[in-house]
Amino acid sequence: MRHPLVKMINIHKWFGHVHALKGVDFHVNRKEIVGLVGDNGAGKSTLVKILVGAYKPDKGEIYFEGKKVNFKSPREARNMGIEIVYQDLALIDLLSISRNFFLGREPLKKLGPFNFLDHDTMRKESIKILKNLGLTRIQSPDQRVATLSGGEKQSVAIGRALYFNAKLIILDEPTASLSVKETRKVLDHVLEAKDQGASVIFITHNIYHVYEVADRFVILDHGRKIADVLKDKVDPEDIIEIIRSGGKAIRKF
Amino acid sequence: MSFKHFFSFFPFLKIIRKYPESGIFLSWILVIIFFSFLSERFLTLENFASILTITAELGIVAIGVAFLMIAGEFDLSVGSVYAVAPMVLATLWEQGIDPFLGLILSLLISSSIGFINGYITLKTDIPSFLTTLGTMMFFRGVLLATTGGFPIYAKGTHLLFLLLNSRLFKDFRSSAIWLVIIAIIFTLILTKTRYGNWVFAVGGNKEAARAVGIPVKKVKLVNFVISGLLAGLAGIISFSRFKIVDPTLGEGLELEAIAAAVIGGCLLSGGHGSIVGTFVGTLLTASINTGLVLIGAPPYWYRAFIGLILVIATIINMLILKKVVLK
Repeated sequence: MRHPLVKMINIHKWFGHVHALKGVDFHVNRKEIVGLVGDNGAGKSTLVKILVGAYKPDKGEIYFEGKKVNFKSPREARNMGIEIVYQDLALIDLLSISRNFFLGREPLKKLGPFNFLDHDTMRKESIKILKNLGLTRIQSPDQRVATLSGGEKQSVAIGRALYFNAKLIILDEPTASLSVKETRKVLDHVLEAKDQGASVIFITHNIYHVYEVADRFVILDHGRKIADVLKDKVDPEDIIEIIRSGGKAIRKF
Repeated sequence: MSFKHFFSFFPFLKIIRKYPESGIFLSWILVIIFFSFLSERFLTLENFASILTITAELGIVAIGVAFLMIAGEFDLSVGSVYAVAPMVLATLWEQGIDPFLGLILSLLISSSIGFINGYITLKTDIPSFLTTLGTMMFFRGVLLATTGGFPIYAKGTHLLFLLLNSRLFKDFRSSAIWLVIIAIIFTLILTKTRYGNWVFAVGGNKEAARAVGIPVKKVKLVNFVISGLLAGLAGIISFSRFKIVDPTLGEGLELEAIAAAVIGGCLLSGGHGSIVGTFVGTLLTASINTGLVLIGAPPYWYRAFIGLILVIATIINMLILKKVVLK
């Protein structure tokens, strides 16, 4: 149990002539919230997409719970307990909350030779989860997701990952375009996830949001890791300065 | 009393939210009332039977088109497939091959055309509108070229025709039963199974569907095949009634089928819609069809009417979706 939950070693990725990741080492410990930060084009999203099998690395090794893995699709990663929540495409607007919640993992009940959706379980469990998430404004799990606010959608997506006992939840810009109040709620859910034993990778541009909840920061710049620091060693201004200077400010620490 | 108060007495919005098809159902009733005033022969069993006869043949095509449309793709080739299938069957029968075997072979070809549509669309990432426009023209052209433009007649009668499309009671035909069975099967698949949930997901937002591990392309491909299969079956059901297949059979049918699906509440961009709505949408277009005949209007008016209804129904469906279902 002493190895980290995730370990990525010397990850390289080319897109045509663009060398998007240039030998990044990255790890996440158990019950740890890692803030993955950096400017646009730093390679944050590419790194996590490689982790969940959406992209194939051109070079490098990935270990999950100490075992070498090579996910061919996000589905495989999901089955192993790695859940990724994208900013805009976590949920399907036109589908109901309960259908979204169990999408791809629908509970079934047998009726003769046929398997039908277990709507009762889907609805009951969804109501329970919405209650746990404190989303009291939502009246029914049959409501379409389009009727939810941005914050509620993020909460539901995080709640979904937790419900299915994700070991690692990857959040890509979860607080972008959220109100202050909604941001607070999403950050609370991130901390709850950790309390329940999950680790979180939190990708964001907003250093202040991630600073509140993260245990450690990994800073990328033009496809390289330029810093990997524990929270108590830095304050938000230091992180911003490192990103701004492209790592030159790092000598300070 | 305000507008809002009025509706709190009557759970109108609640019903529409739960069953968005109720809007189109209401429109159908209005069309029935309209024609009943203009012709006393409209509200008769005979006319209802002829509405069902038209509905059966168009409806089976429309169900396939709707099922694919909900998954976010188009099929314009259904009109051509509708002619290819019975042409294959009739040609094989001329060569002495039993129509039951002919049915299987022609449905296999219909499904293969669906597969080709899907494979090209998904492999090359070009819009299915274009792929299927291409195959629509291609197969129609092949049909016209190989037959020289001449129709083929059935060699006589056959058990297959009796099963698929024969008079059961008065003017009611067995084709209506096939339509109902197919409508029930696809309603169950769409609303009660895991696959149905995936169809909605794939059409609603394929990136989000992919992110949770749904095999997006596989789902779409299966629906392309189903669309081809049902179009072929409907063509053979039509052949069973007329005993003649013309190489121009089903021209323009693809647009009628798409219109029926959209009138029935399917979203052209995918992710939303129902088989029940499509069914009622087909009933509505068929009612207009027989209604115009009964009031003695020249048949040309049919298209004009459908065009009008299509636009009005789309506006109403959009309003229902935006103001009620997604509110």
